[in-house]
Amino acid sequence: MIRLDKNSETDLIKLFESKNIGLEGNIIKLIESDSNDFKTYLTKCTDKDKDSRRKRLEITKKIQLQNNELSDLNEQNQKMMEDLQSTLKEAEEQKVKIEAQNGELVAWREENEKIQQELQKEMIKSESARIRAEEAKTNAINDLDILQKKNQTELISTIVRVALYIIVGVGIVTTGVYVFTLVIGKDTQVIGAAWSNIFGILLTNAFSIVGTIMGIKYATENKQ
Amino acid sequence: MIDSILLVDDEDLFHLVFEDACSLLDISLSLNALNSSDEAAKLFQKWFQDGDNNDKPECVFVDLNIIGSSFDGIELIRKVNFEYGNHVVIGIISSSNEPEEQAKALQAGAQFWIIKSDDIEPRLEEFRKDYEGYKNRTAPFKVYK
Repeated sequence: MIRLDKNSETDLIKLFESKNIGLEGNIIKLIESDSNDFKTYLTKCTDKDKDSRRKRLEITKKIQLQNNELSDLNEQNQKMMEDLQSTLKEAEEQKVKIEAQNGELVAWREENEKIQQELQKEMIKSESARIRAEEAKTNAINDLDILQKKNQTELISTIVRVALYIIVGVGIVTTGVYVFTLVIGKDTQVIGAAWSNIFGILLTNAFSIVGTIMGIKYATENKQ
Repeated sequence: MIDSILLVDDEDLFHLVFEDACSLLDISLSLNALNSSDEAAKLFQKWFQDGDNNDKPECVFVDLNIIGSSFDGIELIRKVNFEYGNHVVIGIISSSNEPEEQAKALQAGAQFWIIKSDDIEPRLEEFRKDYEGYKNRTAPFKVYK
């Protein structure tokens, strides 16, 4: 323990009373005195020191608390930043994936367009092939029709030729019989009437046949 | 009253809190504070090698996790107890309350474990009452919650 001389004790007491300046800290705990006045002084100094320490302790605790809160907030912020960064990273990865998918889609679209163009070309080709086939079909039908008509015409012309031969033959034969009858001087009343009738009929039929032939010929020529 | 205390803690603000609390509770006359366990280990090594015990603290409070140090508080206690001579009352002062860590501290020779909080004074007061037991090595390891 420390003991101060009387003058020092008096000076310290006066300093405290005049300017409120006193001893501070743990040194007070190491000073002892027999003087009641100085003991009172030491008690006052101790109380003052304790008050200021208590205040400082409270303030320091508050600051410590605030620091802890700030530290917690900082940790939360860092965590949030990490979360944000990982989210950003994920978004970037997704972006890269989407870009890759987009690239694939563009390539696929281009391929599709190519295929579509090829299809269109093929469709045009098939359309033209269809048109050609239809034309061929029409031609074939026409050919068939013509052939049929040709056959019919040939048949008709054959029939007409035969009919003409018959008419001419019958005319010749009837005329011959009539001429023969005239030459030999026999009765020509029946044969003359018959010849006249037959000849009229033959002429009528012959004109009819000629008309038919001309009509058929005209129709065939028009169609061709 | 404890003559001298050494606090090893990386938090400067806690140095002030601890000093004021100790002064208000009349726990100690002098208090020194260090920020790293390396510095504390160097001092203990010096005291051990020189055999100079005048500056040596009577009681040491060590934080568990000391940022910026190459080893933690438990390792410092182990070094002090088993490498540099076991002549001080030493323990942990930490916000952690892990029984596993407390068991490790006990193995390293810690005598007490004070849990740091906003209201540290009641724990220090209780510690002051038990201090003589720690000094005499009669008090068992205790956790001040």
